[in-house]
Amino acid sequence: MTVTAVVLAVALLGLSPTAAGPNIKKVALIIAQGGLGDRSYNDSGYAGLTKAAQDFGVQIKAIESRDPVGQGEQLLRQAAKAGFDLVITLEFTHFEPLARVAPDFPNTKFSILNIAVEKPNVVSVIFKEHEGSFLAGALAAMVTKDTKIPGINPRKIIGVIGGTKSVGIDKFIVGYEEGAKFIDKETKVLVSYSNSFGDPAKGKELTLAQFQQGADIVYQVAGGTGEGVIAAAKETGRYAIGVDSDQDYIAPGHVLTSMLKRVDLAVYDLVKRLVQGSLKGGAVITLGLKEGGVGLSEMKFTRHIIPKAYVDRVEQLRKDIIAGKFKVTDITQK
Amino acid sequence: MTRTVVRPQWVGELGRSFVTFSAALVIGALVMVATGRDAWGAYRTLFAVAFLGAQNLADTLLAATPLIFTGLATAVAFRAGVFNIGVEGALYLGAFAAAWIGFTLTGLPAGLLIPLAFLAAGLAGALFMLIPGALRAYLRVDEIVTTIMLNYVAISFTSYLVNYPYAVPGLANAMSPKIALAAQLPRLLPPSQLNLALIVVLLLVPLVHWLLSRTTLGYELRALGSNPIFARWSGVPVPAVILQVMLLSGFIGGLAGAGQVLGVNYRFVDNFSPGYGFDGITIALLGRNTALGSLIAAVLLGALRSGGATLELFVDIPKDLILILEATIIFFVTAEFVLTFPRRRHAGVH
Repeated sequence: MTVTAVVLAVALLGLSPTAAGPNIKKVALIIAQGGLGDRSYNDSGYAGLTKAAQDFGVQIKAIESRDPVGQGEQLLRQAAKAGFDLVITLEFTHFEPLARVAPDFPNTKFSILNIAVEKPNVVSVIFKEHEGSFLAGALAAMVTKDTKIPGINPRKIIGVIGGTKSVGIDKFIVGYEEGAKFIDKETKVLVSYSNSFGDPAKGKELTLAQFQQGADIVYQVAGGTGEGVIAAAKETGRYAIGVDSDQDYIAPGHVLTSMLKRVDLAVYDLVKRLVQGSLKGGAVITLGLKEGGVGLSEMKFTRHIIPKAYVDRVEQLRKDIIAGKFKVTDITQK
Repeated sequence: MTRTVVRPQWVGELGRSFVTFSAALVIGALVMVATGRDAWGAYRTLFAVAFLGAQNLADTLLAATPLIFTGLATAVAFRAGVFNIGVEGALYLGAFAAAWIGFTLTGLPAGLLIPLAFLAAGLAGALFMLIPGALRAYLRVDEIVTTIMLNYVAISFTSYLVNYPYAVPGLANAMSPKIALAAQLPRLLPPSQLNLALIVVLLLVPLVHWLLSRTTLGYELRALGSNPIFARWSGVPVPAVILQVMLLSGFIGGLAGAGQVLGVNYRFVDNFSPGYGFDGITIALLGRNTALGSLIAAVLLGALRSGGATLELFVDIPKDLILILEATIIFFVTAEFVLTFPRRRHAGVH
């Protein structure tokens, strides 16, 4: 009844909810806290959506709210009511609202990233961050032994800064450690937690402490805190490893590589499946090295200082993991 | 013989707020016309998605609920000339306290658990205000500075709590465990999330009105707010009144947090508030520091927030329109505030 009221109200006002032909699919993307313009997670997801719109001719809408956490159910429900075929949310806290809303709209497909919501019309996307981190660890373990590279000491020590001590973050760290030990069992990996994703000063302080303990490469898995990790590397002439998006440009030559998490690809892939009719509700899509959902950056600014043999070795490891020759531990699957 | 119509002073005051709100609409319309958009259509749709239909109205009231709380919390302080900017901090501490009760005392029935959670939230907010309140009352430390700074302490403290002692393993974002089903506030108009917290705050509005207009404390705090020197010389126990006002403001701010946790999120989510506490300042000023005025102002702002989120789905009006409207309102109310309040403030508080 209330649905009718809304439609009626809108119709009376001479407006129609995003008119489209019967065959044109409509996709809504709910933007997470932080909003568009974050040069990171949200922007990446939106880039994937706009690319999908160009490639598949779907109608798209980005939904921004000042309070995506508090308005979770409302946003999901209204997007479904407005007649979108697929509603993707980038907001992590929507996992509970989504589980409540999805059953009311069996003909709408929903999607959420980084967490599995088990409902027949929800498609969850999980990234295999451990696989990408494995490659980062392997590269770091090779570079940390090579004193011919500027800023590298002879000690086999590398570091990592996590945003919080949580399974979600340790997934990266364990993969990184495994990659490092795979190259050289004696590699020591220093681990610190910043207890914040938005504290560059803390990130810098922790990184400098790790450098003092002999590390020369520090992987940041701490969001905005990572800016401090990169700043510390730049100041001391050592190296950081970026995360999520390609952060190599932030301090050219001092970000060894970045472990990319392709949110854009995830969104693009969802729309592609929708258009092709292969989007299966109730499924969990995992995006790893094989799917190109995670991986290392192209190392635009460091490629000339890293010996080609190391890059080739990393590439070989990537192929081996894809071929299933060995598996990287996923601590969330325990 | 001319007849003069005697109106209470607040009618004229609210009239000025009405002008402020209208001015915001006009400026918003000008911006839309200048950018080649249909302003009239946008406003009609905004009105429709905010108020027409039970669900839309429910979502507007849902968005307004935390704002009514924080508006009241701010209004009681501002009315006394005490510029408490710390409602956001009280809200965070209250939210965590309510969540803690909700996920710890899971065996209790709803009838006990919910009042207890609200009470704990209020006490947490009040306790937080004890620090800047006492500093202001007895040592004359500027409460604006202390409350702004203490917000960070409160928010970071709750962040610590959900990142370490109360972290839920296996979740990528920091949040507390889920509260017991019995602690979750019943919905008033399902499927909308509008919940019992609205009733709580609607009961609070007349209570605050009564307190401000009919009690000794209310008289004293109004006296203090309108003329500190007069208040002092007429025997108002200034430090005691300031402290009580701060505690009350913190208590209501804490309740705001409880409302969001028990009624909407069912957890304490790290950094969950988009600034409800600070919105309280706009609302209190727009509502002329009265209980009823705060209620109206909060519903208007809630309509913008709720309607704005829906607006994007129907017409090609970006949510920036909502930002323009809000910014204009804030501009006008602060302009007036800046022009009048410092005069009173420096009229010799000490």
